Amino acid sequence: MNIIGSTPLLLILLLLLSSFTLPFLKNPIKFSLPVLGALTILSWIHGLLFIGGEEYTIQAGHFEAPFGIMLRVTAVEIAIGLLFMTITTLVIWFSASQFHREVGKSQQKTFLILVHLLVASLLGIVYTQDLFNGYVFIEVSTLAACGIIVVKNKADNIKAAVKYLILSSLGSGLILMGIAYLYALTGYLDMTFIHEALIPIASEKSRMILISMVLFMTGAGIKSALFPLHIWLPDAHTAAPGASSALLSGLVIKAPAIYFLKICVLVYGYEMINQTAFLQLVLLFSGTGMIVGSLFARSQKTLKRMIAYSSVAQMGYIFFGIGLGTPAGMAIAVYHMIGHGVTKATLFLLASTFIDKLGKKDSASLKGVGREMPFEMAIFSLCGFSMVGIPILPGFISKWNLALATIETGQVWLLAIILVSSVLNAAYYFPITINGFFSEEDGIKPNNNPVAKVPLGILTVLLVMIGLLSGPILSLIEKALI
Amino acid sequence: MSFILILPIILPMIMAMIIAQKNIIRKDRLMAFAIFSTAMTSLIVFFIMFKLPGTSLPILHVNEFIDIRLKGDGLGFIFAGLASILWTLTSAYAGVYMKHEGKERYFFIFFLMTEGVTMGIALAGNLFTLYAFYEILTLTTFPLVIHAGTKEALYSGKKYIIYSLFGATLILFGMMILFSAAQSLEFTAGGLAQLLKYGQPDLLAGAFLALFVGFGVKAALVPLHSWLPAAMVAPTPVSALLHAVAVVKSGIFSLVRMTFFIFGPALVMSMHLRAFLLSIVLMTIVFGSFMALHQTHLKKRLAYSTISQLGYMLLGIILLNEDALLGTMIHLINHALIKIVLFFCVGAITYSTGKKYIYEIGGIGRKMPVTMMCFSVASISLIGIPPSNGFVSKWFLGLGAMSAGQTLNIVILLLSAFLTAGYLLPIVVGAFFTKTASDIADEENLDPPKAMLIPIVVITGLVITMGIFPNPVIGYLQVAIEKIFL
Repeated sequence: MNIIGSTPLLLILLLLLSSFTLPFLKNPIKFSLPVLGALTILSWIHGLLFIGGEEYTIQAGHFEAPFGIMLRVTAVEIAIGLLFMTITTLVIWFSASQFHREVGKSQQKTFLILVHLLVASLLGIVYTQDLFNGYVFIEVSTLAACGIIVVKNKADNIKAAVKYLILSSLGSGLILMGIAYLYALTGYLDMTFIHEALIPIASEKSRMILISMVLFMTGAGIKSALFPLHIWLPDAHTAAPGASSALLSGLVIKAPAIYFLKICVLVYGYEMINQTAFLQLVLLFSGTGMIVGSLFARSQKTLKRMIAYSSVAQMGYIFFGIGLGTPAGMAIAVYHMIGHGVTKATLFLLASTFIDKLGKKDSASLKGVGREMPFEMAIFSLCGFSMVGIPILPGFISKWNLALATIETGQVWLLAIILVSSVLNAAYYFPITINGFFSEEDGIKPNNNPVAKVPLGILTVLLVMIGLLSGPILSLIEKALI
Repeated sequence: MSFILILPIILPMIMAMIIAQKNIIRKDRLMAFAIFSTAMTSLIVFFIMFKLPGTSLPILHVNEFIDIRLKGDGLGFIFAGLASILWTLTSAYAGVYMKHEGKERYFFIFFLMTEGVTMGIALAGNLFTLYAFYEILTLTTFPLVIHAGTKEALYSGKKYIIYSLFGATLILFGMMILFSAAQSLEFTAGGLAQLLKYGQPDLLAGAFLALFVGFGVKAALVPLHSWLPAAMVAPTPVSALLHAVAVVKSGIFSLVRMTFFIFGPALVMSMHLRAFLLSIVLMTIVFGSFMALHQTHLKKRLAYSTISQLGYMLLGIILLNEDALLGTMIHLINHALIKIVLFFCVGAITYSTGKKYIYEIGGIGRKMPVTMMCFSVASISLIGIPPSNGFVSKWFLGLGAMSAGQTLNIVILLLSAFLTAGYLLPIVVGAFFTKTASDIADEENLDPPKAMLIPIVVITGLVITMGIFPNPVIGYLQVAIEKIFL
């Protein structure tokens, strides 16, 4: 196998290695940023070369599938992997000039070590084809994620991290139980092998299979903040420093969702999930989340908390796509992860910039900020527009395709949920834009701290490109999911 | 040469960006630059209209659905031409008027951007493009509505945004169902053939209703009209444009596009929604007129009058025949011209004397003879006394109602004409035949400066011309409309 082909494995290994190298360095950011940049470029090369190619697996060890661990490489994994690498690099780049002001220089090294570890484990979750291996990576990512929350040494952070840790452990436990059920039924841990073994016993053991499905849903649901299991998210994402929030909301909650999606598609297959009432459950929770999450977001006073609740609503969209149980629905779930990953990371970076510049946390203090920081506020508005669903931006594409997929499954009444939720999005993103640009109140004196505009610019370009190229992206993803 | 089709959209946007630069355009040249930009846009529109009709320009094709495409056809050109002329004249008027409102540069930026967006609506080649521009229209007109920046302005702006977004959501719902049935949203004269073949009748009826109400929000369909009177807090040139072309007429134009170029008259006829829609529309006409009678605030009176007049156009759409549609399109033009004159005159009164209410302007006709003459001409035209242009449009609407067998509508049209006289003529009578209000009695002549007066007179001229020589426009429209009913 050639070097480029085994990029996914290389990425994980190199990230782990670099994470263990970082403690010995004097100026960690000068090492971390080039490494992340180089790996991002590598993964882009790999991704671009892959387009149109066949899916393949990478053997991570000396043994073949049922015994050894395999990494699965298709358009889905590559797309999500690219997202993770790119966002991480841009977030670290952006925070290089700002992070130390928020948490102090000494903590930066810890933060970078944890970020490398986090991204390695997230990529592991995405690429692996082995259920148990995925579980291990999920555990690693949880610990690393807790780490980047408490890196800011405040009481709020510790409280939030403990809450997150407890609930997350519960989620991991449920996932582990699900794996145990499947292992007891089939004797395999590799996703494709489990699927083969499940087909003959599907009708006979249907209850056990249903139990395992619900276990996975609840477990992944806790970790991905599926309503009503989201209660840890707003605290954690609000308390964490800006760069951490961006990573947590943009990437960390996406990884269990993609793990869940892979379980649905690869382990059970479309036929099996559509035969049970399990999908209705997913739809119920995600649909409620889409609306209630937005309602909660609307009533928040602090900016970061509002964006965090908006994440709850947006995770609803992703699970909604999965809950439709068709390749089209799954493809939109993946697409929405990408679109929302970029948007939400940008929003959190901007929120932390505003807080840094103004020294205030509530969204009411943003009045007139658009005149002082037009570039930042314009990007914030653009992200808001994407969430609300102004055409061509990714948020709109997700909603539109989600609606089409919903009509295809014959559940037209579900459209109401999508539409109501998008109106609610407008109810909390527009006021900020309006106040930011048009409010008369003055008296804001932003300090002169520098803001890295280049990464923000790249994120914006990415956002628009994801919308513009939605056609090819979606068709590639959908092809991989059939 | 088909790329030229994008120029009317792009040019005003670029000009808006240039005008935003303080060191390129000096403050005293804002008006000249705006007139230049809008005049250029009009020239381009008319060049395309006469030299390159029927061109189509794909801009961005992502997939079957996300397909931004421009296409010029008769109805689109009429709307674009009308809008571009009125924009040019308004920029002259606004150049002077806005001096006393302040923040002129801010006004002109969004003023020009809105022109580009309106051109986009006129020249859109499919429903998706139309929808995209329609959404952006809300965003670019919002800053104009809240121009004053006061609490009241912000409140009205919020109302405007909420109503618009509600409408947009319904439109999106309708488009989703349409697209899943037809796999295309291309404007085709007479409607998409696929819809008849594959669509489920109930779902399509739901989609039609959603789209009708959704676009109806901007067309001030009662009971979704209340943003329009509230938006009167905006400066007069803004109100004039919002009423005459930009927003409400975009709503009407989109409804025409949706009804006749997506669904097609035959399909809509088979939906059995007409009785329901007719009752809403007739209510709009009568309600608007009665509310206008009540208002003492001049601009609000005109606003309710607009709601009633928009009802005429909606009526022409749902009658679903050739004459009625022709009536709608002619009334779209005529009402635009008339209403902009009325607003400009009221704006001139406010500019010269600061008066805003009907009871304050007794005898003002003697002090502002030219302005009030134009106001009278426009009022008479709106009432529809022959040979004014208002008569022409009502004639065709009446013909349409006759051939649809709806004689009740004619009664309503006549009643509403009577009410129109009831709320406009007292202003005229008061202006010319009552005692001059004491505080302006000593003034010599209060007519506004030339830059404001010339647009008023020019548009009044157009109103008269459209009344006496309507045939070229009717002929042009008939060619465009014939294709729909083949």
